[in-house]
Order: sequence, then C-alpha cells, then structure tokens
Amino acid sequence: MKRHLMMAAIGALCIGLFCSLPALNHAQAQGKRAVPAAEKITVINPMGTPPPITAKAMAEPLSTLDGKTLYLVNTGFPNTERLMEEYKKWFQANYPKTTIVDQRTGMSNLTPALKKELQEKADAVIFALGH
Amino acid sequence: MPVLLSEFEEQETEVAMLAGMPNVRIHYIRGPIWAKTNEQIKKQVIEGKSPVTGKPAMAEMVEMLTKPLTAEEKKTGELRRDRGPATYTGTADELQKLYLEKRYTDFMPIILPTEEKVEDMLKGTSHAPDEVVGRMNPGSDAGDTWTYTVKDCAVNAVMAGAKPEYFPLILAIASGNQTSINISDNGFASAAVVNGRIRDEIGLNYDVGAVGPYAHANVAVGRAWNLISINGGNCGKIGTTYMGTVGNAQNALATIIAENEEASPFEPFAVRRSNSPAGSGYGFGNAPGGASPKYKRGDNVVTLLSGWGVLSAANWKVNAWQSLMDYPKIIKGIYEQQNPGLFGTFIILSPPIANFVKDAGFDTVEALNKYVTQPDPAAKAAAPAAKPGGRGGFGMMGGGVDLIVTGASNNNYWMAGGLRPGQAIDIDKWR
Repeated sequence: MKRHLMMAAIGALCIGLFCSLPALNHAQAQGKRAVPAAEKITVINPMGTPPPITAKAMAEPLSTLDGKTLYLVNTGFPNTERLMEEYKKWFQANYPKTTIVDQRTGMSNLTPALKKELQEKADAVIFALGH
Repeated sequence: MPVLLSEFEEQETEVAMLAGMPNVRIHYIRGPIWAKTNEQIKKQVIEGKSPVTGKPAMAEMVEMLTKPLTAEEKKTGELRRDRGPATYTGTADELQKLYLEKRYTDFMPIILPTEEKVEDMLKGTSHAPDEVVGRMNPGSDAGDTWTYTVKDCAVNAVMAGAKPEYFPLILAIASGNQTSINISDNGFASAAVVNGRIRDEIGLNYDVGAVGPYAHANVAVGRAWNLISINGGNCGKIGTTYMGTVGNAQNALATIIAENEEASPFEPFAVRRSNSPAGSGYGFGNAPGGASPKYKRGDNVVTLLSGWGVLSAANWKVNAWQSLMDYPKIIKGIYEQQNPGLFGTFIILSPPIANFVKDAGFDTVEALNKYVTQPDPAAKAAAPAAKPGGRGGFGMMGGGVDLIVTGASNNNYWMAGGLRPGQAIDIDKWR
C-alpha cells in the first residue's frame, strides 16, 4: 500500500512539473519577467525624423477674370485635350472678355521656354491633368 | 492652379505640403478622364460638382482663381512637423492597438519596444544611439527624405523580434538608405543577399527553403528592414508613400537571402561583384554612389537589391529531362524575354543547377553573362530600331544577368526575375 501511495505521489509531482513547463517557458519568452495584461508599460516611438519644410508665399489671386489672359496647359495625360476643350468652351461662353491660350507640356516638367512665356504673358494658369 | 483626380487628394495634399505649399488651391475632379467623350466630360465634369467640396465645379474653379487669400493661406515660414511623443504608455493590448492604428506596424503584432528591450538591442553595436544611420524616402520625389538614428533602428529591430546579434546586419541594411517598400506603381520588391561568416554566426538559413521564411534570422532581419522603412523612412503608407497598382506579395517581408557559398561552384556574390572590372557592362563592381570596396571570401557583406522580384523559373518541361535541360540556354531565353528591362535578369540557382551551368562550360558568372547577353544575330536583325527619345535607356539600368547560389541539393529547382543588385555594404562596420 505504501508503495502504491509513493508511486501516486511521484506521478502527481511529474504531472505538476510537466504542466508548469509551458507557463515557465512563456514567462521566459516574454523577457526577464512576464508583464500582467493590465499593467501599464511605456514604449518608444519608432518614427524617424522628417525634414523641416518652409512654407512659400502664395501668389495673390486675380480680382476678376475679365480682361485677363488665362492659359490652359495640357500636361499630356491621356484624353486631357478633350477636358481642355470643354474648359475652353465654358470660359469662352461665361467669360467672353477673358483671353484663353492653349499650351502643351510634359507630365513631369515644364520647359524653360513655356515657363518664361507663362511668367511674362499669363495672368492665371490651369494645369491639367495631374494624376 | 492644378486640376487633379480626387483619388489622389491625400497624396497631393502631402506633395503640396512637402513643396512648401500646404494651402495651394487644387481643383479636384473625379476620374477617370481617359477614354471619355467630350459629351461625357461636359456632363460629368464641367456641369458636375466637385467630388471633394460638393460645390458646382466651374463656380469653384473661378472662386479659386479670384477669391483673396485667407490669413491661413498667407502664412509663411517653417512648418512644424510632428513625429509624435517620444513614448507611449498603456497596457500591452492598448499599445498593440495604438501601434496598429498609427500604422507603425506591418499589420502583425509586434514586440513592444520598451526602454529595457531597446537597451538590450543597442548592446549589439558599438555605435552611439544618437548616431544618424541613414536617410530614406519612399523611392521618388513624391515623398520626403527622413533620417533615422541607431536608436530608431533598435526600436524597430525590437518590434520585428530581432536579436541583438542581428543588429549589425540590420544597421548595415539601414545605412544603405534604400526603402524595402518602394512607392512605385510597379510594386517593387526588395531583397538583400548576405555573404560571409555572419551567415552562420547569426543562424541565417541557406539550405532547404533558403529564399523563404524558414529561419528566425532571415525573417526578423527582413521584418526589421520593412519596419525601418515604414517608420524610419515613412514609407509604405497607401495614399501618400505607397502607390503599387496591384502591390507585391514580396513586400510582406523583405527577402533576406544568405548565399550557400560552400556549395557554389562560383565565387561568393559580393566577392565576385566587387572584384569585377569597372565598366564590365553588367553592374559588377559598379555600385551606385561609387565603386564598392574589394571584398574577399569570408568578409561579411550585405548587398541590397530592388526590382519586380523573383518567381519559380522554367525548371523543367513535361517529358524534357536531364540532357534536354540546357540551363544556360534557358537562362539566355529568360534574359532575352525580359530585355530591355529595368532591372536586368536575376537568377537564384540551387547548387545542382549551378553545377550544371559550370559543367556546360561556364566556369565563371562573367562567362555566363557574356554568353547570355550576346545578341542572337537573327534576332538583332529582326528587332525594330530604337526610337529617339524612347525608353531604351532603361534597359541599361539593370544590365545583364547576375546570379546567386543558395538552397539545398534535394532537387533541381531555381528562380528567376528582375532584381537589380545595388550597394554592397560592409556589415562589420556596424558591430
């Protein structure tokens, strides 16, 4: 009988040890001590540092479109010529005293010649279409 | 005044801010315009409403051209840019949720970067925590260039689950200033090839499954590169710094590949590239930003690559085996199919295939490259002449064929695709 009791006690110890191993490993995997779920901890912001940006002064808008020159500059995105045609028709119908000039440029850059023309002759410019 | 598609409003707001014009007046219309008739454009755009403000479109356009600037629009000077507080406090669950919402993660749970864990990570290097490691943008002018320190990298390395012994490799990769998540609508992938003793020191896998996520070091280092790109370089944010049209599955984890130098019949990748003659025509020895150092076998080097990625290649054909498999010819065929391409042709050979290539008479990768890139006279005669101002110049960016050897010898498999090798970085400098 004593032998049976001793075997049962050893068995219980083994089961207890076996069951405690996963909990022990879990705690070890979490670091030096396990953090209770409700305990507050402090963590570090992972972001890098953005460069400084300086805001430029915006050009003052026109007081009126009448008597002004409005450039419609097509950036070359597919089908923009049709969009510009419709803009042109609308401005001609609604602002007959505004001069409309069509121009064309590349999608990612403005040629020096066109930039100079816009600076010298345009009162306002509409660029389309960006994507 | 720019007219833009409203789908890009978030990105264009960011671009305008980066250009120093946070209040520039932008007129948005709903896309697409492509393929629409004049009648459709008139009805939907001219006579329609702004998809952003809901105002009649043309009335808004005139107002933007003529309404005086507001006090806010007149502001000039330095714009305050906030990277947020230095630390966050909460329960583990709250912080996991917060980091997910702030897009500090790759959408998977992270190891929370406590001061204690970050201190442990910093023990992996002798460099000072406040030393600037690099500068990164998402790959084009659409994003600005952020800087990050050794400590910033340590925070992200902890989040990725990396061990301190991986940290020199992570810092070497970060010092390359190359995002692992490029903004391009192409959907680029990124990879890094590791050569030298460090492969075994930190347990990088270069046996079975070498290119896949089957060892802790490969996975954690790749994830750290992604998190440094997301947080250190502000990359991978859809709408502002990521525009891949269909995306790229290889962005889930930057691919860290250790070369199986011991089973390769060729010189290690970094050694071969750095010792090839300058101007050899296919990228060897011509790292961007200047010539690479001359590396020797055993040196710990990481080479950064970018491109469309790799896929399992034409390993075998049904009923075509052994002697019918002319691997150099198959590689030449893949190269010709891809050429001219942005990234050249990049091949990942298992050791058996590499030995087939060698046994076919190619003792060096340079010899293979010469054979592969030699134009077929018949194909050259049939090819249309390049148009002036065309995009043919892009073909030179990637060069010819380059390869690494990795993986196991349990079967004859290999991969091919478009990845352009770039900088080859000395890892030991970051110990």
